[in-house]
Amino acid sequence: MQARDNVNIGKSVVIKGELSGSEDLTIEGQVEGKIELRQNVLTIGTNGRIKAAIFAKIIVVQGEVHGDITASERVDIRDSGSVDGDVSAPRVSIADGAHFRGSIDMQRQGGTSAGAKPIDGKPAESRPVAARPASGPIPAPVPAASAR
Amino acid sequence: MAGLFKWRSRSAEPVETVEVSAPVPVEEPATASKVLPKLLAALGRQSHPFILDLGPVVGDNIAFFGEQLACKIRVEDLFEEIEQCARAGTPDALGQRLLARVPETPASVDAVLCWDVFDYLDRPTQQALARRLIHILRPAGVIYVFFGAKAGELTVYTRYIVAGPEALRTRSYPATPTQRQVLVPRDVERLFQGLKMTESVLLKSNTRETIFRKP
Repeated sequence: MQARDNVNIGKSVVIKGELSGSEDLTIEGQVEGKIELRQNVLTIGTNGRIKAAIFAKIIVVQGEVHGDITASERVDIRDSGSVDGDVSAPRVSIADGAHFRGSIDMQRQGGTSAGAKPIDGKPAESRPVAARPASGPIPAPVPAASAR
Repeated sequence: MAGLFKWRSRSAEPVETVEVSAPVPVEEPATASKVLPKLLAALGRQSHPFILDLGPVVGDNIAFFGEQLACKIRVEDLFEEIEQCARAGTPDALGQRLLARVPETPASVDAVLCWDVFDYLDRPTQQALARRLIHILRPAGVIYVFFGAKAGELTVYTRYIVAGPEALRTRSYPATPTQRQVLVPRDVERLFQGLKMTESVLLKSNTRETIFRKP
């Protein structure tokens, strides 16, 4: 298996301007401006302080970000992470304890809503709750007693 | 005996600072929800719906709504303002602070997740917030809200966590005590005048889970 290149920007480094590249990057320092790693993973380490618009394939936030975040695959805000800005990605996970203020846009690429059952359709209250995954498509109704 | 010696040698060491652990949230098991499916159904009709969440950010909810509805969610944690005003003893400032965090653009939102925010507000603030929410709601938009039916002091904040398309669980966190403003069903209907109450269910927790829809 080929090892993936990973570049680290240390705690004492301060960058003002545009940062772009084609390697995975971990930032523990400060960056102001714009970060663009369209095909790679960007990790904002626990010491990282970012004031920038960020574009990457996967973005992991463990430090502080002020600015909008766009990922083509996913954004992962860890419990030590803090984001003030708008997030756009097909998948977003936010850990308990993380700080987040802004909006999250999870529109699927080229797709539309999953399409839940219409509000005036057949009542759905008789479906059992147990053994149902917390995510995934809404299953079809099954005749069963109320789980309440 | 060995333990006693250990204790003695430890007590001879300089006293270390005591670590105060953060308050432990109390989590309840998941319960069935009759109203949540109505919310999902209403939003499932929209393409890329816009949801305004007035509670604290809950990762599970973001992931759930995002995966189910491919939506846009804006989080404005009004409980943060409520707690700050309660701690500072400035309840009069609360109304203004809450409205400052709610968008103003008319007919711009498909759903508002209020959770139980109204329980923590006085009557004028409840009315002002309800007016704003009705104003920003799109036609066919919905408001999902919980009302406590039992009077008394609120000493916790409750996080509602979506545990599936028809299930919720709650997690409570300590709060600066506030008096609950109980609203009877008639008051609730007046508060959201102009909207249609699609479903309202009294839960075992003495909380009424309700969904309103804008015609």
